[in-house]
Amino acid sequence: QETLTAVHAFPGTLIYTQSFLQFVDKVNKAGEGVVQIEVRGGPEAIGMFQQPDAVRDGIVDMVYTPGSFYGGALPEKDALVASNLTAVEARENGGIALIDEIHQAKMGVKYLGWFDSGVSYNLWMKDEPKLDANGNLDVSGIKLRGNAVYNAFFTEYLGAQVIDLPTTEVYAGLERGVVDATGWTQIGLIDLKWNEFLNYRVEPSFFSTDLGVIVNLEKWNSLSDEAKTILQDVAIEHEKASVEALRVKRDEDFAALEAGGMKVVELQGEARANYLAAAREKTWGRMKGLMAESPMGDGQYDTLIGLFYNAELDK
Amino acid sequence: MEWYEALGLLLGSILALMAIGMPVALAFLAANIVGAWVFMGGERGIGALLNNGLGSLTSFALVPIPLFLLMGEIFFHTGLGGRMFNAIDKLLGKLPGRLSYVTVLGGTGFSTLSGSSMGSTALLGSLMVPEMNRRGYKKHMSIGPILGTGGLAIIIPPSALAVLLATLARIDVGKLLIAGIIPGLILAAFYLATIFIQTKIDPDAAPAYEVEPMTLGQKLSLFLRDVVPMVGVMVVIVAMMVGGVVTPSEAAAFGALGVLILAVIFRCLTWEAVKKSIVGALRVTLMAYLIVFGSATFSQLLAFSGASSGLIKWATGFDLEPIAMLLVMFGVLLLLGMFMEQISMMLLTVPIFFPLAASLGFDPIWFGLIMLLALEISFTTPPFGLLLFVMKGVAPPDTTMRDIYMSAIPFILCSLCLVALLILFPPLALWLPG
Amino acid sequence: MQQLSRFYSLILYGMAVLAGAMLVWVMIAVIMSVGMRNIGMQPWAWLFTSTEYAMLYITMLGAPWLVREKGHVHIELVTAALPPALRRLVSRGVALACVLVSLILAWKGFELFQTNIARNDYDVRAYYFPRWILTVSFPICFGLMAIEFSRFVFGTELMHSGEAGIHE
Ligand code: NA
Ligand code: NA
Repeated sequence: QETLTAVHAFPGTLIYTQSFLQFVDKVNKAGEGVVQIEVRGGPEAIGMFQQPDAVRDGIVDMVYTPGSFYGGALPEKDALVASNLTAVEARENGGIALIDEIHQAKMGVKYLGWFDSGVSYNLWMKDEPKLDANGNLDVSGIKLRGNAVYNAFFTEYLGAQVIDLPTTEVYAGLERGVVDATGWTQIGLIDLKWNEFLNYRVEPSFFSTDLGVIVNLEKWNSLSDEAKTILQDVAIEHEKASVEALRVKRDEDFAALEAGGMKVVELQGEARANYLAAAREKTWGRMKGLMAESPMGDGQYDTLIGLFYNAELDK
Repeated sequence: MEWYEALGLLLGSILALMAIGMPVALAFLAANIVGAWVFMGGERGIGALLNNGLGSLTSFALVPIPLFLLMGEIFFHTGLGGRMFNAIDKLLGKLPGRLSYVTVLGGTGFSTLSGSSMGSTALLGSLMVPEMNRRGYKKHMSIGPILGTGGLAIIIPPSALAVLLATLARIDVGKLLIAGIIPGLILAAFYLATIFIQTKIDPDAAPAYEVEPMTLGQKLSLFLRDVVPMVGVMVVIVAMMVGGVVTPSEAAAFGALGVLILAVIFRCLTWEAVKKSIVGALRVTLMAYLIVFGSATFSQLLAFSGASSGLIKWATGFDLEPIAMLLVMFGVLLLLGMFMEQISMMLLTVPIFFPLAASLGFDPIWFGLIMLLALEISFTTPPFGLLLFVMKGVAPPDTTMRDIYMSAIPFILCSLCLVALLILFPPLALWLPG
Repeated sequence: MQQLSRFYSLILYGMAVLAGAMLVWVMIAVIMSVGMRNIGMQPWAWLFTSTEYAMLYITMLGAPWLVREKGHVHIELVTAALPPALRRLVSRGVALACVLVSLILAWKGFELFQTNIARNDYDVRAYYFPRWILTVSFPICFGLMAIEFSRFVFGTELMHSGEAGIHE
């Protein structure tokens, strides 16, 4: 029996961590006598942003983390961020196989699976969003909280006045009016209690979560074929199961928020299309720029986008 | 390796190294090297240790502390602090231990609103301890109240740590914050009573010098000239926080700026004072942050090796009465708190303790508050409470380990009394949030 | 030799002065960032990020100087109870252990710095910041700390005073 040690980027109580722990349970059940995963903890065991390096260096065998936490080493993660597909389609069309290949080449890690996909981001606001004459979102005068994932979009397209605040300070920031709007995934606002201050959700949602399981390549290669098969099969199964589970959770969250008075403001027509296009293209732009700087170059840029983005779906 | 072996190795090495007189920060680093070697796969574990230290240090949460230190040092070295305390001294007349009371009242107000224990300990320590020492107060009369009020920052809102705890435990943030108000005020009252008792037992603890009688007019002008402007700086930065102009983490910079402006107005800003203030703030920052660099990784090693989760599971695995179980959890928090950093402790214990508390029928808000109290206490528990080291950095050079420990103990007992009160009368916490 | 030692001292104190200057910078950066936000401008994100990085640089630049100043707290328990001759031996031994710890970290820090360059690693925050610019501080800091601690191993001065308590 072989054992892999694992850590997860987020605290144990967060929904995404729960999803990873379910995956671990499934592996440990299917892999009895063959392969087991031993979870060592979350950010209290290895710092959130140090986990990608830790798995690269073999300190720990497996990490569940957003690709954005190692975007410096692997700018291609932005293909997932700007994706409008879920892992199910990206697995089928070979997108995840390509991302895995890039992970192996650039970081020496195996990309085992893209979990909790299909969840996207909304802009959440305290006051009713203003729309200009053409129906575009007008964020002038709004204090928008940003971070590394969405700053390219917020500042370059929306021209927003972005304030970088750590997640732990956002509650106090909203309470005192230091910020009055923030991006966040469709799920999880209630857990953070930010809905006490936020009253509007702006649609359409944009981006996608980019949470994945990466495994130290040396460790992966040392596993028996049977162990590899179990891990990979369970991961593919969980890619699918997690999409479905989180869809249900999203609908529940939205319903609960709306029952609590959250109002939805939806951009229409061209304004909507421009908003979505900007979110995507500003992110792609960043990815292409960083890919070009790296020794592997940006040769796979178009292929990646073709595999993770389907223009038909946005029509 | 079993969890208790891992725990023994990590705690044993740190305790042994500190006992033979290795600087605290270096002892943490040495224990980390041993731990990284054993639990993180040899040599490469040490690289991870450095990466983790880097991650822990480059955090905005640490930014206010040097700035609060700077603010306190400027207050002291420009003589502004001295002016203010002279005035307060005269205004309060003959009350024994008056500056200690001022420390508790001012400290409660300030640490409460700043929400940062380390920041307010840094500020109050650098401001009050040298002044009170100069006036003949025994050390415990200044150090104790400051260590005590530093901890209040966590309980009385606003408190970043309480928000984080509520979020992790999925309990109502607002309720947990409000639940802290009455217990926080009771704790402050306990502190005042402690000082009263201390001055009764040992009248020499605070100087009993005579104060010249003054007319009301003299008092008023003294108050307006030497107290109002200094307190005004504090009031302005608190107003900026409440008004949303700055976050609590940003407020410290404006505090330092405010004191600089005051010093210019009072014509006491000299290069010498500025230089001394920066050096003073720098010394304490360096000392404390190299410890943070080491201890953050140390608490990660406790978690990663399975030592702390093993301890938690073992301790909570007994089938005990609810009240005994509560004491066990409280004890585990105090023990871990001696070696671990607070946020790591919450991440580690919340997923285990809150479901357990629910199964025992505890109110989650009440339990959350008790947990916050444990975190608060562990910040000042000998031998490794981080606030003790911050205090050591700002206290006069002849202050010993023993002085600081002995000063902290009465105030830790106050917190323990409060916990006992909360267990006996849960409405103290739960009445206000309804 | 004397010139070399004077040059070395210049670096040691120069680094401490730089740390002090960065502390002042942190204050200015926070004030500027809040000021810009409140007059309706977008604060440069690097203002914020620079304060976070400053926490590392301040610590690493100043730590060796603080060793010379005997400013890192230690507890005198065993050393206070020993007879003078033995105390001197233990004190020098502890200093030697500190040299060792510092050397290991300097060496591993240097390796980390090289890895960061080879891998072209970035620290990802508001900006993508080359990681080696941060990790280069490790070999410098711990290297100098090793030198400073070795003064307490071989020099005339001891790290421990022999008086019980915690010492600066
Ligand atoms: Na507070
Ligand atoms: Na502690």
